[in-house]
Formats: sequence, C-alpha cells, structure tokens
Amino acid sequence: MEEISLKAEQIFSILGFPITNSLFLTLFVCLILITFSVILKKKLALVPGKLQSGVEMGVEALLNLMESTLGSAKKAEIYFPLIATIFIFILVSNLLGLFPGVGSIHIEYGHKAIPIFRAPAADLNFTLAFAVISVIMTNVLGMIAIGTFKHISKFINFSNPINFFIGILELVSEVAKIISLSFRLFGNVFAGEVLLTIIFFLAPYFIPLPFMFLELFVGMIQAFIFAMITLVSISIHTAEHH
Amino acid sequence: MEEAGLLGQLGINWKLFLSQAFNFFILLIVLRAFVYKPLLEIIKKRNFKIKEGLEKAEEADVRLKEIDNIGKEKIKEAENKSVAIIKATEDKAKVLDQQIQARAEEKQKEINELLKKSALMQKEESESRVYSQALELVKQIVAKTVELKPEAIDKALVEKAVSEVKKNEV
Repeated sequence: MEEISLKAEQIFSILGFPITNSLFLTLFVCLILITFSVILKKKLALVPGKLQSGVEMGVEALLNLMESTLGSAKKAEIYFPLIATIFIFILVSNLLGLFPGVGSIHIEYGHKAIPIFRAPAADLNFTLAFAVISVIMTNVLGMIAIGTFKHISKFINFSNPINFFIGILELVSEVAKIISLSFRLFGNVFAGEVLLTIIFFLAPYFIPLPFMFLELFVGMIQAFIFAMITLVSISIHTAEHH
Repeated sequence: MEEAGLLGQLGINWKLFLSQAFNFFILLIVLRAFVYKPLLEIIKKRNFKIKEGLEKAEEADVRLKEIDNIGKEKIKEAENKSVAIIKATEDKAKVLDQQIQARAEEKQKEINELLKKSALMQKEESESRVYSQALELVKQIVAKTVELKPEAIDKALVEKAVSEVKKNEV
C-alpha cells in the first residue's frame, strides 16, 4: 500500500516557489473554470441554449437560497459572486479529486514516487486559505454594510463589562470559525482520500464504487456547507445589531 | 518548503497559502466578469421582457374585450337602425299604397263617368238615327200608299211595300 501523507507533496518548483500536487490540481481547476467561463460568455444569449439553461438553473437556485437566508434579493445579488465562487471552486476541486489518475499517477521527485495530483481540499493550505478569505470577507462586507465603527464595536466594546466580554467571545469565535471551516473541509476530503486508498488497496474492483459515490456526495455536501456557513456569517455581520 | 512546528507537520506553508488565496481571487474576478455579471444581466433583462410581455398581453386582452363590446354595441345599433328603416319604409309603402289606391279609384270613377257619358251619347245618337230612319220609312210608306188605290190595298200589299223598303235599306 502506498504511503499516505498528511501534507501535500512537492512535485516541482518554479524559481524556488514550491508546486505541490494539491496546488497543481488547484491550478488545473482554475484553468477548467476559466475556460468554461470564457466559453459560456461567448454563448450567452437572451434565448438560452442547453449550457446556459443549466447554468441559469444553478444560479437561480443559489440566488433563491441566498434570498431566503439574507431576506433581500438585492443583498443576495451583491454577495452572490463570493458565495457562488466558494461553492463552485470547492465543488469542482472535490469532484476532480475523485477523477481517475488523481492519486494514482506518480512522478519521481527526490528519489520518491509522488502522486502528481491530489485533491485540493486534502491540503490544509487550500482549506485554510478559503476559511481565512471567508472570515475576512464576511467582516469586510459587514463593515461596508453597517459601518466600520459599528462593526468593530461588535468585537471591541467598552460600554459595559458584559459587552466587553461578549466582544472578546465574538473575536474568539471568528478565529474558531477559521479553524472549524478549514479543518472540517480538510478532514472530510482527506478522510475520503484515505478511505478510498485503503479500499482500493483491499479490493480494487467493484467494491470501491459505493465509496466513490459516498465521496461524490461528501464533496458536494462539504462545498455546500462551506458556502452556507459563509452566507450565514454574511447574513449575521451585515445585519444591524441592537 | 518545510515549516517548523505544528504548522509544518500539517503542511501549512505561507507561500502555498497565499497562492491558494490568489487562485481564489483570480477565479472570483474571472467568474464575476465572465459569468455572474453578464448572466445576471441577461436573467434580469429576460425577466423584464417576460413581465413586459405579460403586461402587454393583459392590456391586449382588455383592449380586445373592449373592442368586442364596441363591436357588439355597433351591431346592435345597426340592427336597431335597420329595423327602424324597415318599419319606416313599410309605413311609407302603406301610405303610398293607399294614395295609389285612392288615385286608381278616382281614375276609375272618371273612366266610368266618361263611359256613361259616351254610352248616353251613343244611345242618343242611335235613337236619333232610328227616329230619322223611321221617319223616312214612314215617309216612303206613305208615298207608296198614296201611289196605290186605297180599295186595292190589302194587307199583302202593305207587307210587300214594307219588304221592298227593307230591301232598299239593305
């Protein structure tokens, strides 16, 4: 059985910048999504084709969900790009992580056979980056929505000892949110990778199929959960507190 | 690329972390420019057109109903007018008929008068002719009678005289 590494492994470097197998697949995901957007942009029309209809269905479903959470269509439209990008990026990364070749095609680097591709979310750098972006963006959007001082007063408040203590708790909860978001996604995807590696080692034919479906489901659910938690955070931070 | 401590053990590397964040922002910008913005605009435009179309369809429906009502009213009006015209024409025809009848009766009366007059005149004429003929006949009879001897006159002679007179007349 091949060695399971907790961290993403370096496959090459460009001018001293390390390129890990996880970052390599992330770049691949970016390339796919950018190509898809360029093709879609060219095909956009008032009377939609099959591709545009499918994308529109997804967009409208997400917009409706956001509208029901934020309570306003205008707000949903403003925050849509951030939530949709988080969801799409994580979803495509997780789905691509299940593709044949990911984890099975190896490259020789430093006298060691390393998988050339690794699911992006199976690298803590990816999940941590997303978690930090999510928390920072929700706070920035909160500042824009209700005002910088009003927003900061949620965390630093000297009006009375209780509010001061609540502010400290809020500050801690923001840090905890980064940890929980990043480790939840990382844990689920990495655990799935480990599970699939073990199942493939034990029974390479037919048996891994249900586990592949399970991972497909987990990948979608995790992308949805990450996007929804960010959405709820935005909803809380952009609402006036009394 | 190895970081020290717990972060290093978990594979956290600030360069990789920043590159992942950079990837996210690049993708956010590209998707926003190429997908979200144009797609939302198209959806909005389409929704507006659908709304506008529905409103226009409703308006057209109302207008159609109004036109239908106007048409019905016009037809009813035309029917009423035509009935009135027919009735007026019938009345006029009746009056005209009565006038013609009265005139015809008058003419008939005039003709009858004329006929009566002409019949009377004819009668008078024939009477005068008969009278003159009878007078002539009597004259002839008297002359014939005078030419014959009174003793020899008998009925047969008279008859002969009469028949001769008749022959002459014929």
